[in-house]
Amino acid sequence: MIATAWRVVGVGFSLLVVLAAALLYGVDPQQTSSAGAMIGEDFWFAYEFRTDGLTVLMLAVVGVVSTCVQVYSIGYVRERIASYTAIVTLFTAAMVTVVISDNLFLLLIGWEVMGACSYLLIGHYWERRDARAGAMKAFLMTRLADIPFLFGIFVLGVGYHTFRISDLGSGPMEPHTLTAGTLLLLVGVVGKSAQVPLQTWLPDAMPGPSPVSALIHAATMVAAGVFLIARLYDLFVEAHTTLTVLAVVACVTMLFAASCAMAAVEVKRVLAWSTVSQLAIMFAGLSLGTHDGRHAALFHLMTHAAFKGLLFLCAGVLLHQVGSAAFVVLRRYTRRGALRKRMPVTFVTMTIGLAALAGVPGFAGFFSKDSVVEAAWETARDGSTVGWIVLVSVCVTASMTAFYCVRLWLWIFFRTPALAGAVGAFEDDDPMADLEEPDARKLHEGSWLMLAPMILLTVGAAGLGYTDGVHLNWAIALITTVLAILGALPAYSLWHRGADPRPALLEHEYGVDPAYQRLFVVPVRWLAKLVVGGDRDVIGAYVRAAGRTGVLASAGFRKLQTGNVQTYLTAAVVGVVALAILAGVIGS
Amino acid sequence: MPLILPLLLAVVLFCIGVYGVLARRNLITLLMSFELMLNAVNLNLVAFDAWHADGLATGQTLAVFVITLAAAEIGLGLAIVLLLFRGHGHVDADAARDLVES
Amino acid sequence: MTTALFSIAGAVAVVAAVFVVTSRRIVHAALWLVVALGGVAGCFGALHAEFVALVQILVYVGAIVVLVLFALMLTKAPTNPLPNVTTGRSPFAAVVAAVLALILGAGVVLAFGNEKIRPVTAGSAQAVGTQVFKTWVLPFEVLSVLLLAALIGAIALSQRPSQTLPSQKLSEGSDTVSSSGKED
Repeated sequence: MIATAWRVVGVGFSLLVVLAAALLYGVDPQQTSSAGAMIGEDFWFAYEFRTDGLTVLMLAVVGVVSTCVQVYSIGYVRERIASYTAIVTLFTAAMVTVVISDNLFLLLIGWEVMGACSYLLIGHYWERRDARAGAMKAFLMTRLADIPFLFGIFVLGVGYHTFRISDLGSGPMEPHTLTAGTLLLLVGVVGKSAQVPLQTWLPDAMPGPSPVSALIHAATMVAAGVFLIARLYDLFVEAHTTLTVLAVVACVTMLFAASCAMAAVEVKRVLAWSTVSQLAIMFAGLSLGTHDGRHAALFHLMTHAAFKGLLFLCAGVLLHQVGSAAFVVLRRYTRRGALRKRMPVTFVTMTIGLAALAGVPGFAGFFSKDSVVEAAWETARDGSTVGWIVLVSVCVTASMTAFYCVRLWLWIFFRTPALAGAVGAFEDDDPMADLEEPDARKLHEGSWLMLAPMILLTVGAAGLGYTDGVHLNWAIALITTVLAILGALPAYSLWHRGADPRPALLEHEYGVDPAYQRLFVVPVRWLAKLVVGGDRDVIGAYVRAAGRTGVLASAGFRKLQTGNVQTYLTAAVVGVVALAILAGVIGS
Repeated sequence: MPLILPLLLAVVLFCIGVYGVLARRNLITLLMSFELMLNAVNLNLVAFDAWHADGLATGQTLAVFVITLAAAEIGLGLAIVLLLFRGHGHVDADAARDLVES
Repeated sequence: MTTALFSIAGAVAVVAAVFVVTSRRIVHAALWLVVALGGVAGCFGALHAEFVALVQILVYVGAIVVLVLFALMLTKAPTNPLPNVTTGRSPFAAVVAAVLALILGAGVVLAFGNEKIRPVTAGSAQAVGTQVFKTWVLPFEVLSVLLLAALIGAIALSQRPSQTLPSQKLSEGSDTVSSSGKED
């Protein structure tokens, strides 16, 4: 009963967000402000909201994706429904707060609530150790990044004497202060959007429920970073150093994440790394510092929300029906050609999603990625080094993206022709491959509650590319297509041979996690032990010594308590005599 | 008669009483020492009355009152001592240590 | 004349008092107390306070000492000399008492060293009686209430608490209640 009520509330709230976006579409930018209070003597804090084109775009994205996720969850989540739905709704509400707020602190509140919600949702299956660890990791890493973020807010707010976002950027500003403030904000963005060097929490967040992954990756959590830079774009454009740093971070991240995705052996992990990589492409577009770059980044954000949400929902169906999204397990069914036949809707929608991700011409990802490339090319043509770096990185990433998309698609849905029925690359890893005959007949499509959102998002993944008006630069389109084919061909040929070489370096994701373990976790644990020891042996020693002194003193004093009235009386008389002598001495 | 004579006698009696209170073991002798101290006080009162001679006989009246009080005090004190004896079987001040912190 | 009388009575009182606090036989101490109290009564007489002297003899010697002797009997006080009638603190107590005597003596000598008591011719019993019932009648009545309270207190203390307490082995005590109440 409660669960049903919460589901109604959740879906209703998401639809309300969509409705708000629809109503606000085309309306002039507006700003409102409600009751506020002074902070200190200089700053006025109020609940200030604004709506403009960016808000409408984000509201639409958030609303549609969260509606899909809420509906999908009805068919997907089986336990702790009420709390799950409530937290997802809160998550959406927090993102809406971030999107519509016109005050840095209000934005921070939404930002932090999202962090808390992501922690709770990733740890939804808290019985599992990896879910708990992933939730803790996500929380700690984003929190680590949020501290500089908060100080960035302070720097900018104090610098401009206002925390109102619309008023930021007005008035003179010391360039160094601006750079410092935006850099601090950038740290928070990097943490929230899982860019290098804080990238490792996102793949580890995969034990969470798949619809939550879809929500986090498509609309709310990681998109908030992109949104923030787009919102404060005027400030970031002024701070050239910050933009350069952002470009470097984005380029390193997109190549790093794409290469990790090429070697991952679990559907959701591939998708997670691909999210990191695609977000980096958005940041790359933003880092160009031009209006076209920002436009391209937001366009890519929108299309990415559609196809990445779709892909995660598809992965959720696989998880739900098969019980695992690991290549090894899926291959057991695929060897009998079961997955495609039994789950046709999932197959088709996932194919379209992957096509959009890979940048197949005609699908959404193709257009948005091309617009980023085009913006980068225009900057590079003006002789900007950053432009060139971004251009090359995005092109290489496009090729790598095609590689891992094709690899994923072929390996999970198709029998290997060279080794039909025989042991393929992934069967090598599976000791149970021949012992356990999976019953393919039990496999069936997910319920319509789950399929309907997927189909809706498929439409988006296929058609969103045309909403921006088709203005293709044919040369760039040709180049990216060729690059995508260049990436796809090796994947096809490897699959055809039944081989899946995974370099150890990539498979271990460049050893970042062990390095962090050694660099940060172990010293922090050591420090924690030191602190505990210090508390116990130093501070505690004083406390215990105080207690023991009291006990010893009382043991001494109780000797005076003889119980003999004459002793007491003697003491009293002695005291009287002493007082009399004292009075005589003082009086004389 | 010099006033100092009865006063010094009172001081001596009082201090003998103090010594008795502080040093004797038997609780009944303790009470006797109290009586000595009270008598010293009475001596003071009477001596000052004779010296002051205000016509109201203040000191003498007060001395009579103190004697009455002493009677009441010894009555109660002996009742307590007997109670102690009934409970403990002795009237030794040193041995009566129920107040001791153990 | 009165000075000589006073000195003799005072000397008797001091000597007897010393015996009271030092005697090894407790019953002897009680009897020495009689002597000491009588000495003090003599002093009162030498100071022309006959009424106080008579009350002293009546109440103290007649009632209180008798009461003390009763108590000694009831507590089975031994009549033979005891080895240690004083506690281990007695030297210290003597020192304290001596110092106290020094201080008090010095005080009275410094304050009243040159004062004289004027000799009187007549006794003062009539004056005391008049004043008690004239000027001091209110304290007198208050004192009688106090005596009543002491009486009730003595009865309450001596009353055998209920039979629930097993520690009552001795049957004496109920006589003392009546005697302690009767004497005034």
